[in-house]
Amino acid sequence: MSAIVVDGVSKKFRLHTDRAHSLKELVTRRDRNAGIDQFYALNDVSLEIPEGSMYALVGHNGSGKSTLLRCIAGIYRPTAGSVKVEGRISTLLELGAGFHPDLTGRENVYMNATILGMSKKQIDGVFDDIVEFAGIGDFIDSPVKIYSSGMYVRLGFSVAIHVDPEILIIDEVIAVGDEEFQRKCFDHLADLRRRGVTIVVVTHGMGTVETMCDGAAWLDHGVLQQEGPAADIASSYLRRVNEQERADRHAEAVAAAEAATDLRVVPELDLAAVGEEWYGEDLEILDVWFADATGVAVSTGTTGQALTVNITYRAHRSVEDPVFGFMIHTENDTPVAGTNTRLSGIETGRIEGDGVIQIKMPKLQLLPGNYEFTIGVNDKFLQHTYDRHYRSHPFAVRRGTEPIGVGFVDLDVTWGTDGSSAAPTDAAAVRPPEQRP
Amino acid sequence: MSTPAQVWSYRTLIVNLAQRELKSRYKRSLLGWLWSLINPAVTLGVYTVVFGVFFGATAPVAGNGKSAVFALWLFCGLVMWNMFSGAINTAISSFSGAGGLLTRTYFPPECPMIAGLITVIIQALLEGGILIFFLAVIGNVSFTMLLILPLFALMACFAFGVGLVLGLMNIRYRDVFYLTGIAMQVLFYATPIVYQMSILNPTTQAILRFNPLTSYVGAMRQVAYFLDFPTPGSWFVMVISATVSLVGGWMIFSRWAPTVIEEL
Repeated sequence: MSAIVVDGVSKKFRLHTDRAHSLKELVTRRDRNAGIDQFYALNDVSLEIPEGSMYALVGHNGSGKSTLLRCIAGIYRPTAGSVKVEGRISTLLELGAGFHPDLTGRENVYMNATILGMSKKQIDGVFDDIVEFAGIGDFIDSPVKIYSSGMYVRLGFSVAIHVDPEILIIDEVIAVGDEEFQRKCFDHLADLRRRGVTIVVVTHGMGTVETMCDGAAWLDHGVLQQEGPAADIASSYLRRVNEQERADRHAEAVAAAEAATDLRVVPELDLAAVGEEWYGEDLEILDVWFADATGVAVSTGTTGQALTVNITYRAHRSVEDPVFGFMIHTENDTPVAGTNTRLSGIETGRIEGDGVIQIKMPKLQLLPGNYEFTIGVNDKFLQHTYDRHYRSHPFAVRRGTEPIGVGFVDLDVTWGTDGSSAAPTDAAAVRPPEQRP
Repeated sequence: MSTPAQVWSYRTLIVNLAQRELKSRYKRSLLGWLWSLINPAVTLGVYTVVFGVFFGATAPVAGNGKSAVFALWLFCGLVMWNMFSGAINTAISSFSGAGGLLTRTYFPPECPMIAGLITVIIQALLEGGILIFFLAVIGNVSFTMLLILPLFALMACFAFGVGLVLGLMNIRYRDVFYLTGIAMQVLFYATPIVYQMSILNPTTQAILRFNPLTSYVGAMRQVAYFLDFPTPGSWFVMVISATVSLVGGWMIFSRWAPTVIEEL
């Protein structure tokens, strides 16, 4: 049973490069179509979203994801095709969109919830939950203009998820709010899904797509590229992003080589060979996959449990001592950790044909959250990059049974209780007694 | 196209939008809702002094056969006029004001327009109540005053239809806002509000009868001031103008509002 059927939907927009903004222009202008460009934000998109599933729309900026959401929500009328929706829709296209700055949080909650289609009685029933979830407390009776942006966003989200929709449409809004609130939101979304709510999200977090969604669709310039199980879509999409990036880097290298050619006036330089030398297919990373303690492939890890990152590669010719490295980023760009085989003092030796190299972590020190792995391989002098998958391997870490701290990593610390309360002198602090000459 | 039934299912939203408008209107002002009385009171005062005292205009004798109070006679017309101009201006500001909301979530675009109209009706009822109070003070009361309600209803429909179209056009062409301001000034004096029809020559009178507002203002004075029934002619003009305006305006608005919203 499909909750949403999108059938051959196209949406044409007019780009008014020079639109008549006054009646005078309208009357005096001879060619009324001058300056009007048309473009298709959506082009013949068809997909079905099953009832009770969580469905993601992915694609780069301007790919038509938000336009499709608005068509589903009924805000835009498709130029061609039709959208059939079974069930009551709640939209979350922008948090706190209907908030009036002069009115109190309480008044705005009632306002916003009615915009989302609730009756006063229904709101009365969930009002306390809304305030509780948003963590607004006594501020609920203050005008929202004095709220911090975090409070504003939390209250908006809280209202949207408490309207008890059959279909919930969310446009990239969860990316706001602090880590704790985000986690709370995701928990709540999982809860809604268990209750049979159909959820459609637009997101750039591939970790979210892989770990939370059932299905996904990938749009590019308004055209549906692929539709299917979320994990498949996420990996195809990432592969494309990756290829694009490599192509860009290749073009950059060629351009750099060309510039160098001009300067040095080296005749008969083979540009293809220059590209080959830098980014050739000498050594290629084929795949990266994660395995748990038992060696089973996983897409999520657990803090404190064993994890192995398997990097399968293919050497198209023999390569001497390549350096494999990795870097872990959080979803919002913060580098967490990274090292390579050279820093670890590992000699990889001569490599030929296919092989696997593993990053072994007996105890995963990452704390719960979504991370991205960058995997790269360079020549032994770290001068040339053979291949690099930049932040293209999303990995989610879940909480285990053991208590954990805060931040990104669980440091291996011990606590001492036998120290002196007085600070030692500088000399003593810098040099422990046994190391004194 | 939004049907009245669809709009009805959003009645809670309409009520909330109207409440929000009323609550936020006089927030942070000392006199609060008193402002909604001070404005018409000052207008009434100024016109009474200028036309009643300076120009020496007089009112006809009221329905009770003895009083002739220019200020009250004038107020009858002003109540109707305020409702008309209020509904038009509110319609224009409601639609541009709700624009941001309409691009982010779906609800029939008629909702904020109706909410705006409700605030105008409340204002009109308030002014009507004050009018009746002062008419009662001079001993000029009759059951014909009950007809003020259907007159208000007809005026609401008439002004709402016009307001829907102007509100829509205003998004595309900002000139509409300024043009409306000018048209309102002209219309105010092209309607017998501050003067009596009888002071004009027959040709001008005939021309002014083409203005539907002449019938609304005349009918209001019939029921509230002269304590009589409106003429069949004015009933006819009011019913036809209200129906044509409401149906036509609604159809145009429903047809074009979604397209205009996309351009916001």
